[in-house]
Amino acid sequence: MSPRKPFLDALVALLTPHDVLVSCLGANARWLPHMEVSAPVFALCDSMGAAIPLGLGIALTRPDRHVVALEGDGSLLMSPNVLATVAAAGAPNLTTILWVNGHYESSGGQALPGAPVDWPALARASGIPHVATVGEPAGLAAGLAAARRASGPAVLVLPIAFDPAESIPPYSERPEEIRARFRL
Amino acid sequence: MSGAQAIVRGLEEAGVTLVASVPDTWIGKLMATVRGSATIRALDVAREEEAVAVACGANLAGGRGAVLIQNAGLLNCGGILAGLVELYRLPCFFIVSLRGDHRDPVYYHAPKGRVTEATLQAWRLPHAMADSRGDLAAQVTRGVQFAVESRGPFVLLISGEDLA
Repeated sequence: MSPRKPFLDALVALLTPHDVLVSCLGANARWLPHMEVSAPVFALCDSMGAAIPLGLGIALTRPDRHVVALEGDGSLLMSPNVLATVAAAGAPNLTTILWVNGHYESSGGQALPGAPVDWPALARASGIPHVATVGEPAGLAAGLAAARRASGPAVLVLPIAFDPAESIPPYSERPEEIRARFRL
Repeated sequence: MSGAQAIVRGLEEAGVTLVASVPDTWIGKLMATVRGSATIRALDVAREEEAVAVACGANLAGGRGAVLIQNAGLLNCGGILAGLVELYRLPCFFIVSLRGDHRDPVYYHAPKGRVTEATLQAWRLPHAMADSRGDLAAQVTRGVQFAVESRGPFVLLISGEDLA
């Protein structure tokens, strides 16, 4: 199982200025300011569960842009209802990337409730028409390309290794800076 | 023109492009009118916090979002109001059905009615009570404008009587 950062590196390399990236709180949001991202980024530092519906609002308002929403398994476990909302809205320009490591990483690495949630099955059962698991960073190019071609919203599930020793940078941008810089 | 039609006209005149909603009996009636709008997209969501984030996303993308929910749903939204709307200073206009006040005939809404305005004040949410004796459309446009100009939330409380 791959660690997170190679997946994030691969994703950032695939984004274009026509994409929009929305990130949930946590490690991805903390890494992104330190990376060269060609797409506009709106990164959360709070509000678990907000990344996907925030991305949905952007996607519905700007159908000419492809929105990639990054969400963690802890956040989605808190609000899995959003999958049905996304399925019903049907926006083909929204791809959710779900990072699954079984831990609340940003709050100290506590384990999620120990149920073996089948995330792809949950997404399919909620009506998401395009669901795929991407097991390695090298597979992300094909996975994202297929998600972009899908006729409805997509969910890509990334199983990643939990690494309590990962050297994640601290939050380095203030929310008002993030909002002010976010221009479509 | 019914109250519901006046409210929707106010949303249209305020430039609202997307309304995200979880219905109750009153909000459901209002959303039925929203669905007849030629300029507003009506989006059904599963949970009220989603509606807030969707509306904020629409605003970030150059549209204008609004949230239509019951007061029970507003009570669910403390976290996202603090961690998204307030923290990032995003406009977010709400129309909230005030269930459980003296005008509500349904007894089991009363506990929500008792805490709604106190919660709005505790959360420092700018708000107003709709008055169907006045110009409802103007009350809506003023609320939307307040949210936009203050880059924050504004809650317009409505009763079932306001929709008639």
